[in-house]
Amino acid sequence: MRIGAAVLAAGLLLASAAFACALPPSVILTLPTGQFILAAAVTVALTAMLGAATGSLPVMQARMLWQAPDRLAGTALSYLGFLLFLGLLGIGFLGAEDPMHNLLPLVFWTGVWVALPLASLIFGNLWRVLNPWYGPVRMARLLIGRTGKAGLARWQQWPAVLGLLGFSWFQSVSVAPSDPGGLAWLALGYWAVIFGLAVAEGEDWLQQGEFLSVFFAMIASIAPFWRQRSGGTVRTFIGWPGTQVLAMPPLSRSGAAFLTLALAALTFDGLSETFWWMGLLGQNPLEFAGRSAVIVPNTAGLLGVWGLTALVIRAVLRASTLAAGPVMLAFLAIAAGYHAAHNLVLLLTTGQYTLAALNDPLFRGDAWLGLAPFYVSFGFLSNPAAVTAIYAAQFVAILAAHLLAVVLALRLAGPAGIRAHLPLTGMMVAYTVLGLWLLSTARGA
Amino acid sequence: MLQNHKLKPTVPRKAPNNSGDEIMVTKDFTAKAPSRRSVLQGMGAGLLASTALPAVAWAQGAPIKLGFQLHATGIGASYGRWYQRTADAAVKVINEGGGIGGRTVELIYEDDATDPARGAEVVDKFVNQHGCEVVLGTLFSHVVIGSAPRAGELRVPYLVCSEGYHVASGMLNRWTLQPGITDVRSQIASMAPWVAANLGKKVAMIFPDFAFGHDHRDFFTAAMTALGGEVVAQIAVPPTETSFTRYFPQIPADTEVLYHVMVGPGVLTFVKELGEFYGTAAKPKMFGFIDSLEAVDIASPGLEFLEGTHFWEAHNRMKPADAGEHEAAYRAAVGVDDKGASVSDPADVATYSHMFSAWETLFAIKAGMEACDYTGPADRQKFVEAMEAMSEMPYGIARPQGAKRFNGKTHQAFGTQNISQVQGGKLVRVHQTSMEDGAYPDQVDYTTQAF
Repeated sequence: MRIGAAVLAAGLLLASAAFACALPPSVILTLPTGQFILAAAVTVALTAMLGAATGSLPVMQARMLWQAPDRLAGTALSYLGFLLFLGLLGIGFLGAEDPMHNLLPLVFWTGVWVALPLASLIFGNLWRVLNPWYGPVRMARLLIGRTGKAGLARWQQWPAVLGLLGFSWFQSVSVAPSDPGGLAWLALGYWAVIFGLAVAEGEDWLQQGEFLSVFFAMIASIAPFWRQRSGGTVRTFIGWPGTQVLAMPPLSRSGAAFLTLALAALTFDGLSETFWWMGLLGQNPLEFAGRSAVIVPNTAGLLGVWGLTALVIRAVLRASTLAAGPVMLAFLAIAAGYHAAHNLVLLLTTGQYTLAALNDPLFRGDAWLGLAPFYVSFGFLSNPAAVTAIYAAQFVAILAAHLLAVVLALRLAGPAGIRAHLPLTGMMVAYTVLGLWLLSTARGA
Repeated sequence: MLQNHKLKPTVPRKAPNNSGDEIMVTKDFTAKAPSRRSVLQGMGAGLLASTALPAVAWAQGAPIKLGFQLHATGIGASYGRWYQRTADAAVKVINEGGGIGGRTVELIYEDDATDPARGAEVVDKFVNQHGCEVVLGTLFSHVVIGSAPRAGELRVPYLVCSEGYHVASGMLNRWTLQPGITDVRSQIASMAPWVAANLGKKVAMIFPDFAFGHDHRDFFTAAMTALGGEVVAQIAVPPTETSFTRYFPQIPADTEVLYHVMVGPGVLTFVKELGEFYGTAAKPKMFGFIDSLEAVDIASPGLEFLEGTHFWEAHNRMKPADAGEHEAAYRAAVGVDDKGASVSDPADVATYSHMFSAWETLFAIKAGMEACDYTGPADRQKFVEAMEAMSEMPYGIARPQGAKRFNGKTHQAFGTQNISQVQGGKLVRVHQTSMEDGAYPDQVDYTTQAF
């Protein structure tokens, strides 16, 4: 009897889990995205083959635009960043629990994680001057009279790798990454740990051990504008995207780990929402049981995609007989382009909430940005023309990133012939296809 | 997001509410729906307007906090956005009418990430951290099912907006109620008489192969069979499917009505492929649930094939010519035009057929609390008993979707449903069911359960 009752109850549970007008119909599934993908794949392959065969590659040279004395020594804006950080933390702890009406998650997820990288992709590393540690760390070291180091440099970039891994898990796997209170505690804890380490080691360690600093340096490495600070002078340069990369030293093992993790985290963030992945986990994408039901497989998925990315890149570079250290730098372009493409829709949707909240931070009808009151509106997502335009922009970002990666790989490897480049070219083509497929396939979240 | 005190002066008028009192309704609802914060901060202005009528009680004492379990992220987010907009608008109207028992209402939103485990946590936070009197607003069934036990443990009323059959089926507990929307079993069953009489009695059903589709399969087949009709095919499509052409040959040639309830990202593809399958050949009559195309412009390119077909709607997206007297005020309050789209963007179509439940649930809470002279958490049980004592819930600004009958034993409200036809790219109401059309025997008597 009891078993019968349990079976009946289970049957009821299944029969009752009935609300399913879940995901909105997707315009992207009706577009000829397969043709876009094919065209991109052919373009990448042809570019690589022609480049390798002819050796005719764009000239990439930096031109100095201007130089000026470094009066601010890179700290003034960091104090501003620190104040903003404190303000956002306060809002995170005390403001609305609803993530779409709280500036901490809004500014972090759409501003720091999307808009600022996009700006850095063009104007160089903006995080370098805005980050909330640099100034306070320098001040703290002055106040306590510390000038020495604690030997953290021997860890190379591994602390940043750990930071990025934790962050990626929080973003793609944890149940509620937008929860203002949770995000505030996490941000405070992370800030304190990094602050302590940087006070011990010196503020310059941030560029090596703090994941956001390493991430922004990575994104900004393909910017057409950038600055260099040395000897009390700031020099501003202009050059083709990727020009800076050619002058960079080969990636260390930890640097390569960071780059492959950044690629894998982006890939998995997209992958984990696809019908394909949910099918693999036995999840019904139309009635997704929620992230809490898939924490273990998604954790394994994130680590697995990282491992696979690192292994494939390593195997391909070996098979290509190209110098892995320098050529690995070419993937910086892919990481930067994919970050832009992957987060574009988030910027256009949740970004509206951010704009509304910045315009009216106290939610009482103010217009700090001078904007008339407006409703957040996602109507464009059901408009075929708008969706086509968005996919076209993502297509351009992904394709341009891979073409740049191809050119950089050819330049960094030096003359090596078509055969040596074949495996790498194959991988670039595959990665182009994967990136565009992730942006156009059916998604369950 | 407009601040109330920046609004033009409004003209107060009276409207009956469900508890027999009078609530204040302001005529000018054209201001954009404010956020929760602006509702609160603009409240002073709303109250100022209400001083025009001395009969309206001043909001006194601490605000009544209501916890709204919001799908702000996760797969329910597209609904959550509209539920929040609707709930904000309802609270604005309630507060402008004097609040609940003279106390202003404060909505606290927590994001449940459309996740059952997180949902239960959020219920906890509402009660133990925010001091909310009741919890409401949950749409997705799995979040309801995951959260209701915790609400029961905490002995907090949990008023859901999910239209799921889980409340009336007896699966949940005495603290869980659904006063703001008819459940899916009743919705489906109430369609059968009209379909049989007007479209045909030989029905082929095509549905996604999981609980949602199974509900349609089971409840509609039973209702149709009872009417002497026949379901000639039940075509279950795996939920991960994104192309549907290979399922169409399973539709029997003698099918008179094709009943379709596909949902999710693939719906536009489904309609397109179905159009290609039939081409210019004769096709069966088609009947669907608007769930498939909720928040999608019915005049979108690619949906031309749906011209002339019929849909269930709980609340007509396109304002019917004979709409009730409160329809305009409700739309204006939420910021929705006569086509069911946002007043600020004609392309931003609302989840119109479901979101009224957030509004009606808030007004039901008001009625329940006022009926039991609710003063605080100690009265939570009294509140549930007051809800159980409700029966007739007349049409009014408190229930813009229509009159309902609340079954205190099953904790479920039952209302009328609508059938609309796509005419010239518009959804035009052609039939309204009676409450009896969707009636079924009680499956549970929660009032016999201990609190």
